[in-house]
Amino acid sequence: MSVDQIISFVRWEVFGFLGGLAAIIAYRLLNGQINTRYLFYGTQKDGAKYFSPERVQLLLFTLGVAIFYLNDVMEKRKSGALPDISTQTLVLLGGSHAIYLGGKAYMMLLKNIRKGEQ
Amino acid sequence: MLLLLLLQATQSAPPPVSPTVINLAAWVALGFLGLMGIAILYYVFAGKIDLGGLISEPSGEASMSRFQLLIFTFVIAASFFLIVVSKSGFPDPIPQGVLVLLGISSSSYLVSKGIQASSKQGLGPQESSVKVKGSQTTTTLGGQTIQFQADVAGLSDDTVTWTLDPPTGRGTIDQKGLYTPPPATQTDAHGKKVVIQAAAKEDVSVKDTVTIELL
Repeated sequence: MSVDQIISFVRWEVFGFLGGLAAIIAYRLLNGQINTRYLFYGTQKDGAKYFSPERVQLLLFTLGVAIFYLNDVMEKRKSGALPDISTQTLVLLGGSHAIYLGGKAYMMLLKNIRKGEQ
Repeated sequence: MLLLLLLQATQSAPPPVSPTVINLAAWVALGFLGLMGIAILYYVFAGKIDLGGLISEPSGEASMSRFQLLIFTFVIAASFFLIVVSKSGFPDPIPQGVLVLLGISSSSYLVSKGIQASSKQGLGPQESSVKVKGSQTTTTLGGQTIQFQADVAGLSDDTVTWTLDPPTGRGTIDQKGLYTPPPATQTDAHGKKVVIQAAAKEDVSVKDTVTIELL
């Protein structure tokens, strides 16, 4: 029972758990057992639903950055340090979130203020 | 005697622990954590830990801000553990870019909830309802079929059960909401009314009705 065996066991344990959990979540998202209804829809103040392009772009940016970063980690894992994320990527992601939040705030709050409903 | 033993234990240096004991303790701890992980995965897989609302709002609608937070949490956690097992130690330091990424993701989620809380819709659950819509409220014996629609709000399952009152003698309705009036030969139904009801399958107490007059 060497230290190497313990490290190997930890490796399999952690990735077994994370991988298993990710696989279950992905499977349930795909077959509808995790609710994704209205994922791409926003809600106005009157409760009406509308298709929301800002949510679509946020998902695309999120998946893009996530895949890019995981790929970076796989390539540089031997260095023993988490790879940094470039400022440009962070600015892009921040912009994507700002568009999402701005759109949401506009539809739920400002749109009604402009109409004088609040 | 016990006091003397305690005094001796506090005054003397702790005896060295053998590597065998340390290894054994490590295996016991890892075994315990492994069993816990397996139990959690089993409960999630078997549905005893319900993940159905993992990215849902209290209203039952999915939330993009929760979804992106879930994705980034998984990615950074998996990356962190990958580095830990590759290096056999904690990555030091955690890059600022990673911290900023987690900050953007988390604060976007929080601001999103703040916007919702500032709105009339709020974070509370929507009142569930069913609304039946049809093109007409009168028809003739042997006349054309009428297609009804049921709009379900505030429930995760938007399917309904269609029924008639009275259930027989005044036409039929299928489970797609298509009403067929009685044939022209069924004169006893002339001038009568039939109530068409749509009840949500998820909660049968949530329902709506329309009345059709048979001319």
